[in-house]
Amino acid sequence: MNTGKSKVIRYKGAHDLPDLAFSTGTTLAGKTSGWRNLRPVLMEKSGPCIGACPANVPIPHYITALRQGNMDEAVRIILTRNPFPSITGRVCPHYCEVGCNRKRLDEAVSIRAIERFMGDYALEKKGAPPGKETGKTVGIVGSGPAGLTAAYYLRKLGHTVVVYERSQIPGGVLREGIPAYRLPPMIVDKEIESLKRMGILFQLGVEVGNGRHPVDALMKQHNAVFFAIGAHQEQEMKIPGEDLFISGLRFLEEVAHGRREPPGERVAVIGGGNVAMDVARTLLRLGATPTILYRRTEKEMPALQEELKRAREDGIEFLFLTTPVSAEKVYNWIVLKMVKMQLGEKDKSGRPRPVPVPGSEYELHFDAVIKAVGEYPDTSIFPSEALNEKGWLIVNKNTGATPVRGLFAGGDLVDGPSTVVEAIAWGRKSAFAIDAFFRGETVAGEEKLPKTVPYKAINFDYFLQTPGHKQLEIPVAKRIHTYLQEEVGGLTFQEVLAEASRCFSCGHCNACGNCWLFCPDAAIDWTDNAPLINYDFCKGCGICAVECPRSVITLVEEVPGRAGGKDV
Amino acid sequence: MSKITGTTKVITGNHAVSYGALLSRVQVISAYPITPQTQIVEELSEFVADGVLPARFINVESEHSAMSACIGASAAGARAFTATSSQGLALMHEMLHWAAGSRLPIVLANVNRAMAPPWNIWTDQTDSLSQRDTGWLQVYCESNQEVLDSVIFSFKISEQVLLPSMLVLDAFVLSHTYEPVEIYPQQRVDEFLPPYDPKFTLRPSEEGTMGGLSAPDTYFEFRYKIQQAMEKAIALLPKEGELFGEILGRRYGLVEEFLLEDADTVLVTSGALTSTAKFAVHRLRQEKKKKVGVLKMRYFRPFPFETVRKILKGRKRVAVLDRNLSFGHGGIWSSEIKSALYPLKDRPPVYGYVLGLGGRDVTPKDILEIISDAEHRDELDMPEIIWKGVKK
Repeated sequence: MNTGKSKVIRYKGAHDLPDLAFSTGTTLAGKTSGWRNLRPVLMEKSGPCIGACPANVPIPHYITALRQGNMDEAVRIILTRNPFPSITGRVCPHYCEVGCNRKRLDEAVSIRAIERFMGDYALEKKGAPPGKETGKTVGIVGSGPAGLTAAYYLRKLGHTVVVYERSQIPGGVLREGIPAYRLPPMIVDKEIESLKRMGILFQLGVEVGNGRHPVDALMKQHNAVFFAIGAHQEQEMKIPGEDLFISGLRFLEEVAHGRREPPGERVAVIGGGNVAMDVARTLLRLGATPTILYRRTEKEMPALQEELKRAREDGIEFLFLTTPVSAEKVYNWIVLKMVKMQLGEKDKSGRPRPVPVPGSEYELHFDAVIKAVGEYPDTSIFPSEALNEKGWLIVNKNTGATPVRGLFAGGDLVDGPSTVVEAIAWGRKSAFAIDAFFRGETVAGEEKLPKTVPYKAINFDYFLQTPGHKQLEIPVAKRIHTYLQEEVGGLTFQEVLAEASRCFSCGHCNACGNCWLFCPDAAIDWTDNAPLINYDFCKGCGICAVECPRSVITLVEEVPGRAGGKDV
Repeated sequence: MSKITGTTKVITGNHAVSYGALLSRVQVISAYPITPQTQIVEELSEFVADGVLPARFINVESEHSAMSACIGASAAGARAFTATSSQGLALMHEMLHWAAGSRLPIVLANVNRAMAPPWNIWTDQTDSLSQRDTGWLQVYCESNQEVLDSVIFSFKISEQVLLPSMLVLDAFVLSHTYEPVEIYPQQRVDEFLPPYDPKFTLRPSEEGTMGGLSAPDTYFEFRYKIQQAMEKAIALLPKEGELFGEILGRRYGLVEEFLLEDADTVLVTSGALTSTAKFAVHRLRQEKKKKVGVLKMRYFRPFPFETVRKILKGRKRVAVLDRNLSFGHGGIWSSEIKSALYPLKDRPPVYGYVLGLGGRDVTPKDILEIISDAEHRDELDMPEIIWKGVKK
């Protein structure tokens, strides 16, 4: 700083002049920012992963905390958007990895594997009760991911939360839908234990909406009720003999409750969605030989790519472009009358409609047939003013609010079958909407994410090609004989750290210090382990913006007359 | 340390530079590798990495930055050293002016290499001589021992006159050729070269600016003072050369005289070429009893006018060997010698031979032919350039 020490000295000649031009003042007196016509701005942006994640988990942020050795801070950041990383770290289709900018260099960061490690680390640490009680009570119907998420955030906000679950075991689809080899029941149990430690109450074996527990009684009991009962109604195929088929969801539920006998040796599974994959793979593990029957081709299957791939690896037989037109029981067999299909015009789902090929009928014989052709929510328990003409709940997508005051809903109940992470997003936004409702406020919806960093904004010169770390898996030959053992293992701590270091931290400053290092005018102040641009001396050369590997610094046009100030 | 110093080793000229820097206890080294200088940097970086030399080695991406880093280090009061060659020296050019204008006693070793294009990595003095007006002292070395000595010596002079020094050695002829070199015991070098005690330093904790704006009312005087410093160096160099001899055993002057007492014909040489000239002259004296001698120029800047005049006054003829060329003019040393002799009344004729450019070999036979050519030349037959060995 110029402290006014400088003074002008007049020299008579070389004899009294020093050897070199030396001043005891500094160049700080000359504020050089007046030259600037471009202004670098520290502007945090959104990694593509954040926007791609339905729960908008700030992934670069927690990875940065992890890399800085702050595990607890990393967990805290995850939990602001997703209370169950140990679960999504196993079963999420990792939308986050799809758009990862690192794919342009080598392969996406294994975000899900990192999340799984963090989630397992957090399992025993969670469960602190809220600081203060608000006295408001919320009933939550359904203990699947949407219900449990809403319970978690509402409880954190200080509300009394009671979860009503039809089954004797809480967890909903996490426990009764997803097979144990994908998500060990112990993980779900531990998550529920942590919720109990928070003070969340669970009422098990309570089916809301039946005679003993009517919806309006529950509404009177609580200040608000959040329904997250999922989508459990099996679609009807409307073919003769359909009553011979076993429901896919019921079958998975029974296995979750301990059934280990397959319904027969040769079992047909009708459908091409995730439930069909889970049913077929479970059957295989129980010793049966499943055959998947699907009326379109592999390309049109609604199952997640990863599930389809694993079913393929398991060696499960697929029959495409075929569908049963009737079924009958002959001795101990179920005989399916099949017809071959061909693809026709696109239907409203955007997929080509399967059309029967005339004269292509044939028969298939099975010991049992399981139907998994899609599910839809049962809305019969709700008052009519909450339903539209098609019988679906009328729900505000931003808040979960229904036309009935105090009645909120979310998850598969609203969307139809979707993923755990989408249910988590529903639970979270509904929880905050319910909290706002208690204060007489309404929320407009989620805050908009900042601009996404495209891969072209990344300075790839700073990153070396480093392949991702692969999770260990039980070999296919062994995994097909075990239902209970989890088929995919986790990464070690060292691997997690190495994987975290592959993250570009797109749009999020991770204090790499490049701007500080490269600024030719020393106009980056480094305070609290973060950069701050000193606009008194920044000449707007833009080097910091170019050398920022992760596009945190953006150049904007300088507004005349504003140069020199510290405002942005 | 004790195993490294205080012994005689057979080393290359490049490693002689490195040992010179080691013995000078340099504190900051910043250099960028370039053929044929690379071994200097390699050896020094090993000294630093091994903890033999407690210095900071600053890696940079160019010679311009290497000199800039040395300037910063020297301004902060450190003894700073760098080495380069040819294109690298040319890239440093801007910063060479800056170092001298800032009066920073940086020492640079330049391995003489021809300027491109066409690419050529062999010896040629045009790279260093074309830095004539940057305010650097320049000393040309004949042997690997002189290379090592000149590093130490340059720091001693530079730190007294506050100007940077460039010591120059021939590509390959010295840089990659092994010769026995005495590596003095450290305490004897310390006796000759005390630690650097800077007059002005920049410190992060104190306010200060070097080389800020100087208007026409003072700039002129700053230039005048640089010239004064050069003149001070001329006076200081022989004294320090004596002292070097007393402490370390080898005496150095501004120039070196070889068989000059009665010489009618004087060959003026510089760098490693001098040894070839000495060899030829010695044989000529023995075999043909001709009165020839060699004047080896050590310092190019400051130019030793008085010494040169004193030695060349009254000789019959002077032949200057230039392994360099100022295009449109001639050999650089010859024009300097001519200008030095101009104030003399009875000045000898000066014949300027340009030879050996781009590392073309110069043999004793070439030297004998030059002497013969000079002896048979009419006194006034002094073209600006007498080409020796060019295939016309």
